[in-house]
Amino acid sequence: MKDEILKLKAETLKELERTKDPEALRDLEIKVLGRKGRLTEILRGLSGLSEEEKRDVGKLANEVKLELAAKLKEAKNHLLKFSRAEGAVDVTLPGEKLLRGHIHPITKVQNEIEDFFSSLGFMVLDGPELESDFFNFEALNIPRHHPARDMQDTFYIDHKNGEGEYDLVMRTHTSPVQVRAMRKYGAPLRSIMPGKCFRSEATDVRHEHTFYQVEGLMIDQNINLSHLKGILEALARHLYGPETKVRLRPKFYPFVEPGVNGEVSCFVCHGQGCRLCKSTGWLEIFGAGLVHPNVLRAGRIDPEKYQGFAFGFGLNRLVMLKYGIEDIRLFNSGDLRFLEQF
Amino acid sequence: MKLSYDWLKEYINLKKLTPEEIAGELSLRTVEVEGLGKEAEKFDRVVVGKILEVRKHPNADRLQLAKVEVGGGLRLDIVCGAPNIAPGQLVPVALVGAKLPDGLEIKEAEVRGEKSQGMLCAPDELGLGDDHSGILILGKKAKIGQPLAQYLRLEDVIFEIDNKSLSNRPDLWGHYGMARELSAIFNLKLKPLDKVVAKPLAEQTAKAEKALELEAEVKETTLCPRYMAVAMSGIRVDESPEWLRKRLVAAGMRPINNIVDVTNFVMLELGQPMHAFDASKLKNKGERFKIIIRRAKAGETLESLDGQTRKLSEEMLVIADEDKALAVAGVMGGAESEIGAETSTIILEAANFNPVSVRKTSSRLALRTESSMRFEKSLDPTLCEPALARAVELIRETNPQAKVASQAADEKNFRIDQGPVELDLDWIAKKIGEKLPTREIVRILEHLGFAAAHVGHKLSVTIPTWRATKDVATGEDIVEEIVRIYGYDRLAALMPEVRLAPPEANLERGLERRVKELLSGAPALAETYNYSFVGEDQLKHLNIDPASYLRLVNPIASNQNLLRQNLTPNLLNNVRINQARFDAFGLFEIGNIFLPVPGEIEKGIDRETLPYQEKHLGIVLAGDAADELFGKAKGIVEYLSASLYLPAVFKEAEAKPLWADASLCAAVFLGDRELGLVAKVDGQAARRLGLKKEAVAVELSFKTLVQLARGLEARYAPVEKYPSAVRDLAFVIDARILYNDINREISGFDPLIKKVELFDVYEGEKLGRDKRSLAFHITYQGEKTLTAEEVDQVQQRLIRDLEEKFGAKVRDF
Repeated sequence: MKDEILKLKAETLKELERTKDPEALRDLEIKVLGRKGRLTEILRGLSGLSEEEKRDVGKLANEVKLELAAKLKEAKNHLLKFSRAEGAVDVTLPGEKLLRGHIHPITKVQNEIEDFFSSLGFMVLDGPELESDFFNFEALNIPRHHPARDMQDTFYIDHKNGEGEYDLVMRTHTSPVQVRAMRKYGAPLRSIMPGKCFRSEATDVRHEHTFYQVEGLMIDQNINLSHLKGILEALARHLYGPETKVRLRPKFYPFVEPGVNGEVSCFVCHGQGCRLCKSTGWLEIFGAGLVHPNVLRAGRIDPEKYQGFAFGFGLNRLVMLKYGIEDIRLFNSGDLRFLEQF
Repeated sequence: MKLSYDWLKEYINLKKLTPEEIAGELSLRTVEVEGLGKEAEKFDRVVVGKILEVRKHPNADRLQLAKVEVGGGLRLDIVCGAPNIAPGQLVPVALVGAKLPDGLEIKEAEVRGEKSQGMLCAPDELGLGDDHSGILILGKKAKIGQPLAQYLRLEDVIFEIDNKSLSNRPDLWGHYGMARELSAIFNLKLKPLDKVVAKPLAEQTAKAEKALELEAEVKETTLCPRYMAVAMSGIRVDESPEWLRKRLVAAGMRPINNIVDVTNFVMLELGQPMHAFDASKLKNKGERFKIIIRRAKAGETLESLDGQTRKLSEEMLVIADEDKALAVAGVMGGAESEIGAETSTIILEAANFNPVSVRKTSSRLALRTESSMRFEKSLDPTLCEPALARAVELIRETNPQAKVASQAADEKNFRIDQGPVELDLDWIAKKIGEKLPTREIVRILEHLGFAAAHVGHKLSVTIPTWRATKDVATGEDIVEEIVRIYGYDRLAALMPEVRLAPPEANLERGLERRVKELLSGAPALAETYNYSFVGEDQLKHLNIDPASYLRLVNPIASNQNLLRQNLTPNLLNNVRINQARFDAFGLFEIGNIFLPVPGEIEKGIDRETLPYQEKHLGIVLAGDAADELFGKAKGIVEYLSASLYLPAVFKEAEAKPLWADASLCAAVFLGDRELGLVAKVDGQAARRLGLKKEAVAVELSFKTLVQLARGLEARYAPVEKYPSAVRDLAFVIDARILYNDINREISGFDPLIKKVELFDVYEGEKLGRDKRSLAFHITYQGEKTLTAEEVDQVQQRLIRDLEEKFGAKVRDF
């Protein structure tokens, strides 16, 4: 055992000479003297020895340990003090400072999603942020006084129609663009519609009155629920990796029938349950379904001939999940401490 | 809504299904289960113990020392203050680590020098009542060591259902409806409704002592499609029996008395809200009662059950006698006719009200109740009858001496469209994406209460009344029923097969992305997002009149009540919030502005168009030197336009905004199109806004930029074959002459002049007031190598020209 210790000492000293980098020195120290290092490993054999031998070996080990530690420290100090050769340029100096600008994280993720859908032949369309009550609600199968209007607190514009009702709103979702797209392009139709949305609710860490959504729409003669699942799964895998799964659950939205809620297997715990997914293993991401025949009709598409799916999701949530952002208000804060991180 | 697992078992044999399995499947196939509450866990680590001996506490008169056996051979010493303990008693023992309902956590303690290893519990400490007179003494059936919850048979589990996920399902607002769903999901048998409601109403009223006459007059049949009521006499109002109270508590309702509790029970069981009136408070002619369902009169008021006086209006429906309103239909009863201790005769109501009307009324009154929540979902009018029968039956159970005292009044004015809906099996498969077995389709529909007749390729589906009011009407609705119960998880995920076609490009978005990349590149600006709203103060600080701004009816805050017409105001706010932490910085935003004039986009319903909206590009630079910022801002505009192959020109702005420093405000032109402006914020306006830095804003019409940049590309010209000569030319000139005019003169002076570049501007005392010096690099080039003389000749002519036209004086370097 003594031989082993001496051999270790010799090897270490040799390696010490070769090492020119403080980082490597630290590694060497850990490898030899660390809690799980080689010296400790050797000493594990101590228990098989007699008391006298134990004392001897122990003494030697201690001496070697102290000596090596001292040598290591010396080498480290030397390296730190004088690592530049005399007269040489200090190439570690920083370069000339060039400022860079920053793209908002929502723009970044939105671009990524637009590119993904463009690659599948989807158009990227826009619609007005100040929208008519008709497109925002009526055309989406949400008549006045429908309980579903509860789900969305709406900002109304101080403008009344002939019947004395407020008929202009800040759009509460990107879904009205569905109907506008149908009217403009007819079927077949493949499109996504990203954009700014508004709901009249107080802001806090999780709530914002101004947020961003992406809407998706695909209409043709045979577009069905399995296709919806296929597209959502492809998107989820694009965003969260090839192992990601998508799960659909029934959920009521007036503008789709059947209506579903799309969940994605948690990308942190892969379905095992963690804090992010509140131990469910799933993250709620999409609202989706087959476009309601009334919505197709509002879009002047014949529901007897065509069918399709629509989906929507909140961009803010996606971005928060991606970067681990905890406060939704940061997006509209204009705070450079936030913006300059992207 | 709260659902009791125990209660559900009355209608369906759930066998070995655990609450977790049920919650999981309900969430995947019907509604969102937000949580599971296990009653047994309320009494974790509270067990039955047997008192072996009781001694006096040596150091305290009022305390005793008990030795208690708690199972597993374990004997604990517990200090206890209650007077009623004695050896041999079985009592609840909270062990160390137990957490009682009131939040008390049990720890091992020393009480006046004596060890105490737990706590003997009084009823109030366990949340089992208000009694604190002594320790709860348990019956002989209690077993030592048995968990208390088990002894008390607290095995119920409460499912918390997200109400939003029920918003389209009038049938799921009671336990029976949810049991029906479970029967479909787990393929179990559901107890038929005629077994749940044992005695039909007709049978119960047949034996009525027709002592009273009850008439209902519905004046508004569209607002009240059905009204049923029956009188009962011989009522003795008392506390409800244990089983009834337990059910209500489990579903989250407070027990009140044996009449009100029955009406609530029926609502929680069948989903039909009910109401009971104290008949003695109603106007009657002898033994005749007349109930009128009418609109409220203007100015009419009613004190509702919660003690508040409600102002009613004519669009609200009320239940009334001949004199006065008794209840707001479907929302809340009145205080006057409330069931009280003295009530002996009641009128029980089971009615159906128009969902929109109930919804409007409840939101006008700001009064959402268990009842209004249900009515606004479009309840099944046929439900009134079994509900009323069930209530009568239960009241007779809780009031054995009670009698039905009238015939049932029943005013019906409804029609339910139950189909049948004809469905092609291939069509169903076309929606789902795969063909489900027909037997499975039929099984699912039948378990949900649909009748499904299957002939060849066709399915003829009759919709049950409880789904036919609004929820289910079309083939698509029926597909949803089939596929959700079948399970979305069992569907394949397939990519669609399509005819390839290149998507139409979105030029605006394409340019938006390019501009964002450009501005975040060399100019190093940070992209920001701002609200689309501004406030009046904010505008007034900038000398902007808010009068023309579009307004929100219901803003979140008074400083966000107007729709922005420019991006600059909010960008200046961004400067304010960052100025303390950053010396110099620049931000940009691309976003919509809104003007109170008709735009181009259709509203879709009338011939009007939406207010004008267009995208703007806003940039703001903040720093210490205004001149430098102004120059940099113009430089950024030039960089941007040059990158898009567009030449930008600055001109004196004709209309300067009132917030701009008049001396540093330029209009940006691309050719003859005005794109926007670059301006320094006026000092006073900046102060009012709280700006501590100089700020220069750029506001451009992004829409115009898109139009102008459309289709522009880099243009190639062959590289010149002959060398060029550069001459510098500096001259002093009247400061009132604009650079643009001089530049135009030099550039167009001679074909040999190929490029003119300003490199210095100087103003100073030495030159004299109203004078400045401009210095240019002028590049000459021709179709051959130019000689020095040729260049000098042109330059001399140019100098003379400038002297003549502008009074310029050449300077020597």
